[in-house]
Amino acid sequence: MAATKPAVMAGKRTREARGSLLKDIVRDRYLYLLLLPGLLLVLVFKYMPMYGVIIAFQEYNIYKGITGSEWVGFDQFTRLFNSPDFTEILGNTIIISVYKLIASFTLPIILALLLNELHSKLFKRFAQSVVYLPHFISWVIFSGILITFLNPVDGLVNLILQRFGVMPIDFLGDVRYFRSILVISDIYKEVGWGTIIYLAAIAGVSADLYEAARIDGANKLKQTWHVTLPAIRPVILILVILSLANILEAGFQQIFLLYNPLVYDVADIIDTYVYRVGIQEANYSYATAAGLFKSAVAMTLILTVNTIVKKSGQEGLW
Amino acid sequence: MALSRGERVFNVANILFFILLMALMIYPFWYMIMASFSDPDLTASGGLFLVPAGFSITAYQAVFQNVSILSGFKVTIITTVAGTLIGTFLSAGMAYAVSKKRLRGGKLFSLLILFTMLFSGGLVPSYLLVKMLGLIDSYGAFILPGAIGAWNIFVMISFFRGIPDELEEAAKIDGANDLTVFFRVVLPLSKPVLATVGLFIAVGYWNDFFSSVLYATEKDMWQLQMVLKDLISNTSQAISQAGISVAVQQQVNPFTVKMASILVSSAPILAVYPFLQKHFVKGALIGSVKG
Repeated sequence: MAATKPAVMAGKRTREARGSLLKDIVRDRYLYLLLLPGLLLVLVFKYMPMYGVIIAFQEYNIYKGITGSEWVGFDQFTRLFNSPDFTEILGNTIIISVYKLIASFTLPIILALLLNELHSKLFKRFAQSVVYLPHFISWVIFSGILITFLNPVDGLVNLILQRFGVMPIDFLGDVRYFRSILVISDIYKEVGWGTIIYLAAIAGVSADLYEAARIDGANKLKQTWHVTLPAIRPVILILVILSLANILEAGFQQIFLLYNPLVYDVADIIDTYVYRVGIQEANYSYATAAGLFKSAVAMTLILTVNTIVKKSGQEGLW
Repeated sequence: MALSRGERVFNVANILFFILLMALMIYPFWYMIMASFSDPDLTASGGLFLVPAGFSITAYQAVFQNVSILSGFKVTIITTVAGTLIGTFLSAGMAYAVSKKRLRGGKLFSLLILFTMLFSGGLVPSYLLVKMLGLIDSYGAFILPGAIGAWNIFVMISFFRGIPDELEEAAKIDGANDLTVFFRVVLPLSKPVLATVGLFIAVGYWNDFFSSVLYATEKDMWQLQMVLKDLISNTSQAISQAGISVAVQQQVNPFTVKMASILVSSAPILAVYPFLQKHFVKGALIGSVKG
């Protein structure tokens, strides 16, 4: 008897739970209705391609489709990892991305600190407006600006260099300069935008802390070092996690618009390679394998870094 | 409190630094404005620095007579307007449903959305999907794949969670259901976040060229940025295209036309920028607070 009683109660409880689940769904039917169209788009345009990555394990034939194509296991990956292209594109991706990461980690913090020291509200707001602006201008337009300014024949930069007796330089066609152009133009476009979150964090630092530091005789520089920077450390950390997770994201649009066969050796990254090999040469399975490699690494990175950060007692992303 | 000498020097240097930085940021646009209004015959010598050489609007005449640019404007405007409405509205609906803690499966749905930030199928499977759905050369290919972004949804969820429950409960006591609450109570209260997310989505659509690279086989379905990309790498061809009157054709200079085209196509962004600026800071901040 004593043994059956809880079982009966448990049975009753699940029946109740099931009944209330249905009741809850009926009660919230309009919420589900609001959710549905967006969810459908997510399922179709985000999750279907995730299912589509299985063609990386096939020799995909567009006429046979996913169900009819031949399975080849890890052959595409073996081909990819053994290809000389792979070391080159992986190297380029990481190098370009690390340069950009270092710049995007340090410069916006410095710029935000300097913006914070502007005492005229009006001037500060105006300066912010101007430095944010390039973020909203498309890479197509920026590539147009760069191509115009860096043109070896009549570009402004070369005209100025000529006045100093320097021979014209084909910046976008020279392996020695191309990556620097990528990094500098990326800084130019994004450094201002990068300050927004830091500025908010700096504004949130309690004035009492500065007051206390001043009483202890700390000057502006010391206040910045011992008060401001430690206070905004959590924000810096979160942004660094995010950019570390994007280490294989070297800036597809920018490179796609600026590169040319002359600089493939230093500028071809995973994304541009996937586009050329996958879409232009229709090597669907092989390019999907390269893309999957990138997505898998990115996901592993973000999960790992987030776990490490949380283990070390800091706040992670979730 | 009196400033020390060092602080005064620093303040002046800081202001000078920002003036210089702003000049650096504005100069390319000024250069393009001045080049586009310059007299085509005088710019060939290549001595433009601060002021236009002569004055002429032939470059702009050429831009507005160029059928590719006009068609690019059409495609981009349709894409941007439709995409922004669809993206903002559907994201808001999703976010509102998920923001309700009582919703069964809400955790699962938000995990589904979160996961799209961590992993993606990548370029080729997405391309094949759009192709399979028969969306090549249609607005669907430009609008639908990017309409819903995880980030936007989380920004909205955290905003909706901040709306006091009492407001919605009051409406419910008056007999409103969740739909009427959403449309009559929540959306009107959410104008700031709708504007923020909407503007971000709109800028994304406006600046998109890669959808055309992938999904447009016909030139008359090219988005504006794609037309521009083609024109930047191939100016002379873009000018001799049909649509430009012979009179204008004879006096245009590819360079000034290029500059004018770039300016004309970024003009809408520059025009909405002041509104953008008011909202995006808020948006970026809401987004940085974890939901």
